[in-house]
Amino acid sequence: MSTEYSCLVVEDSPMMRQLLVFALSRVKNLRVTEADDGVDGLRKLASGKFDIILTDINMPIMDGLKLVKRVRSDPTHKNTPIIIITTEGSDEDRQRALQLGANAYITKPIQAPQVIAKVKELLKIPT
Amino acid sequence: MTTEKKGRRRSDQPPVDLAAELKLKRDSFVHTFFKKGAEFTEELLGENERLRKAMGELEQQNAVLRTQLASDKAIRDLLEKIELLEREKRDILSSMHEAEAVSTRFVHSHAQIEEEVSNLAALHVASWHLHSTLKLPLVVRHLRELLAQLVGARSFAIYLADFDGAGAARTLVPVASEGMDRNRPAKLTVGTLDSVGDGADGMIERVYLTGVPHVVEGLFTDAEVAVPAACLPMRVDDRAIGVIVIHTVLPQKDRFVAVDLELFKMLGAHAAAALVGAQLFTAADGKLPGLEVFSSFDAHTSAPPRPRDL
Repeated sequence: MSTEYSCLVVEDSPMMRQLLVFALSRVKNLRVTEADDGVDGLRKLASGKFDIILTDINMPIMDGLKLVKRVRSDPTHKNTPIIIITTEGSDEDRQRALQLGANAYITKPIQAPQVIAKVKELLKIPT
Repeated sequence: MTTEKKGRRRSDQPPVDLAAELKLKRDSFVHTFFKKGAEFTEELLGENERLRKAMGELEQQNAVLRTQLASDKAIRDLLEKIELLEREKRDILSSMHEAEAVSTRFVHSHAQIEEEVSNLAALHVASWHLHSTLKLPLVVRHLRELLAQLVGARSFAIYLADFDGAGAARTLVPVASEGMDRNRPAKLTVGTLDSVGDGADGMIERVYLTGVPHVVEGLFTDAEVAVPAACLPMRVDDRAIGVIVIHTVLPQKDRFVAVDLELFKMLGAHAAAALVGAQLFTAADGKLPGLEVFSSFDAHTSAPPRPRDL
């Protein structure tokens, strides 16, 4: 019996979110939940169990860095892998996110195979 | 008496001595004969013993040789077996290499297909969002997102042509821009191809007038700094209505890839249609036109439209 995984995508751009959802649909047995921003993300995290989180950094209301901090302070999701998606690829943002507890980062523009590979790597799904 | 003895011939001597002498000689001969016989017998026995030994040794050697022969056969059999196994190993390795090559080709094809699917998805998402609304601000927002998020443009501007009463473009007006706060793009006067200048402005004007896009091929680091990374004409049918200019891209992007070129092609046609549609919708205050426009042509047959309907 194959393992089922669930993923939370937190991204304010509908276009980017749709592209991420499409990319993740290529991963077998992965259920994807979408959130518009950090607050929406936290709400959805509270209502379900997630195996991995993908989040943008620049978002209104609550940005990705705050979200990472909040997620890591929650014992339920202390060890949930987090991938951050950055636009500028700035080292500062990346380092900050990694220090806060993110596991990996992907820079925009995203390539679906790259997203798939990173998610599989963190979920330890054989390729 | 002595004289008598002297005067006697040998044959005259008494036969006892002769017999004794003969006996002595005979004994001596017999003794010598037997002694020689004994010696010869001893020699024969010795020779016999030596031959026995030699025979024993030969038998031993023979046994060793027999064993060796048997062992040689076993070795030959083993060598044949090794040869057979080596052949099998070569066959298996050859099959394995073939399987590996097939697998590599398959993995390569799979990666290519995944990339193609990913590119198609990007095109689908971009097109879907461009045409998902008739509200001008949303169309512009989607266009900005598309350029920033999907293409990876860092600074860009969208110019639309400002037409005069005769339908000729007088200027290219920047209606949206990103990453150019310090150098907000200015209006560009549209002249003729003969009067087109150099630099970025000249290139934008030329792309608008010719309808031929400009896209930097290869690494951006090798490209001319003053020239935009991409300059794309926007056309509705055969009519140019504006230009999208990508001045710079995100630092992590070193060149345009296949999907970018496909997005540029899509943008050339779809962005123009989306913008014009949204402009018309905005100009009509969001009112949808009546259905009477459909009466001007027959939409119930698959016949090609008449030229006057186009």
